[in-house]
Amino acid sequence: MGPEDLKRVLKLLPDQRQAEEVLVGLETPDDAGVYLLDEENALVHTLDFFTPIVDDPYLFGQIAATNSLSDVYAMGGTPLSAMNIVCFPCSLDMDILAEILRGGADKLREAGVALLGGHTVDDQEPKYGMAVTGKVHPKKILRNRGAQPGDLLVLTKPLGTGVLASAIKADFLTERDATDAIQGMVTLNRKASEAALRAGARAATDVTGFGLLGHLATMLPERGVGCELYLDQVPYYEGTREMAESGMVPGGAYRNRDFMKGRLDVAEGLDELELLLLCDPQTSGGLLLALPEEGLEAFQEAMEPDGFFRVIGKFTADEGARITIR
Amino acid sequence: MSRVTVDATGLSCPLPVVRTREAMEEGATSLEVLVDNPTSRDNVARFAASRGAKVEIREEGSLFRVLIDLPGEPGSSSSPAGQAPLASSSGTVVVLSDDVMGKGDRELGGLLVKAFLNTLSEGDNPPGKVILYNRGVLLAVEGSDTVEPLRRLQDRGTLVMACGTCLNFFQVLEKLAVGTVSNMFEIAETLMTAERVVAV
Repeated sequence: MGPEDLKRVLKLLPDQRQAEEVLVGLETPDDAGVYLLDEENALVHTLDFFTPIVDDPYLFGQIAATNSLSDVYAMGGTPLSAMNIVCFPCSLDMDILAEILRGGADKLREAGVALLGGHTVDDQEPKYGMAVTGKVHPKKILRNRGAQPGDLLVLTKPLGTGVLASAIKADFLTERDATDAIQGMVTLNRKASEAALRAGARAATDVTGFGLLGHLATMLPERGVGCELYLDQVPYYEGTREMAESGMVPGGAYRNRDFMKGRLDVAEGLDELELLLLCDPQTSGGLLLALPEEGLEAFQEAMEPDGFFRVIGKFTADEGARITIR
Repeated sequence: MSRVTVDATGLSCPLPVVRTREAMEEGATSLEVLVDNPTSRDNVARFAASRGAKVEIREEGSLFRVLIDLPGEPGSSSSPAGQAPLASSSGTVVVLSDDVMGKGDRELGGLLVKAFLNTLSEGDNPPGKVILYNRGVLLAVEGSDTVEPLRRLQDRGTLVMACGTCLNFFQVLEKLAVGTVSNMFEIAETLMTAERVVAV
């Protein structure tokens, strides 16, 4: 669902007078809910599922699981247990479902997360994902907001999965051509999350359906802090630009862009396509972090030897809390 | 030639682009694509432009007519389905069958082939296709310093094709960092239909 529609629907919910144990709830656009247990422990809850974005069922299972776990990592938490959520047509070969679930289970094992059960619904289009429970120290929650002027904006996976999934759907690319992006989508955000905590990151979220700009906007408060984006530092998976130029920009990118327009300060003459790419909806995207400059070295060390990241911008003092693209 | 109409109303991305491409593959060079949303309009127009077409958009209420005219080059439809479109107009095919240039010293040959690809990638007229076979495929695998110039060529519209049999032989199929995996059928057809073949 697009950000605008979601906002409208959530507004219709009756006012949820929250228990004081609710540390993170509906009132902020955070990645997961957090519920306080005691001084040392809080529970992190999240749920995510979606339709296949690749044809290979095992890969799809892995991507869906990686994506579901990501919200816990984005809160600075450690995932503990998970439940499968499955929609699947009875008419389809059950071996396909078995492969999807095997992909998910393998990813959970890699993350050290226990699979406790799940629920299956007969549906025309397959969908798969998980509800994940994790833990976090109540004083070490990485919320979306908290960035201060001067903090670096760090992204831990390239962008472009929306465009590439579209291209795979259209047979412009095979899954083999998109190896780079698929590898990225099955990479856990665990290492990035641990590195962020070690380096003293002040805020974090993960990049998913609202695209880079949409999720960056959730890191900015109503006023006081803005962000300057370094356009030439934003990384893309191989083939993204080429496929976007061939007409593979997904509808979600346009919706995300339209939603963001009022908050952007864009350099004159910026190519339309560049802006759309920054709004490309991501599946299992990387973490987006606000990192104090003095933490960069520690972060880099913690991401060695093969953890991907780029510094793609800097938070600024800005009354209008705008995103500047230069 | 009369216009071929592609009715892509009611379809969401990427289907309008897929239908447009199908019509082009069936030989249409003059098309009118009907779409009913700005996203599809922009994507179809971008796709057509990437194929070197002249594009005109007419808006009629909520309906958009995207008029597409491809440059009519007979025999230019040899680019394999699913491939990135050729932006380069050049019909030149460059063949590299070794990871060095010239016979003699291999170290020198390595420097030469890198310089050659750099020059090609920065030149005014990049080749339409680069075919890599035998040890030539090693130029396109991870860790090779010729990946960069090959990528630049690819970004400028050159189709880089690496022989799959050769990649398998050297056990580097998984390490291909630029270009697409090709086969002898495609390579033979490309060589036979090329305007000009430059063997290095």
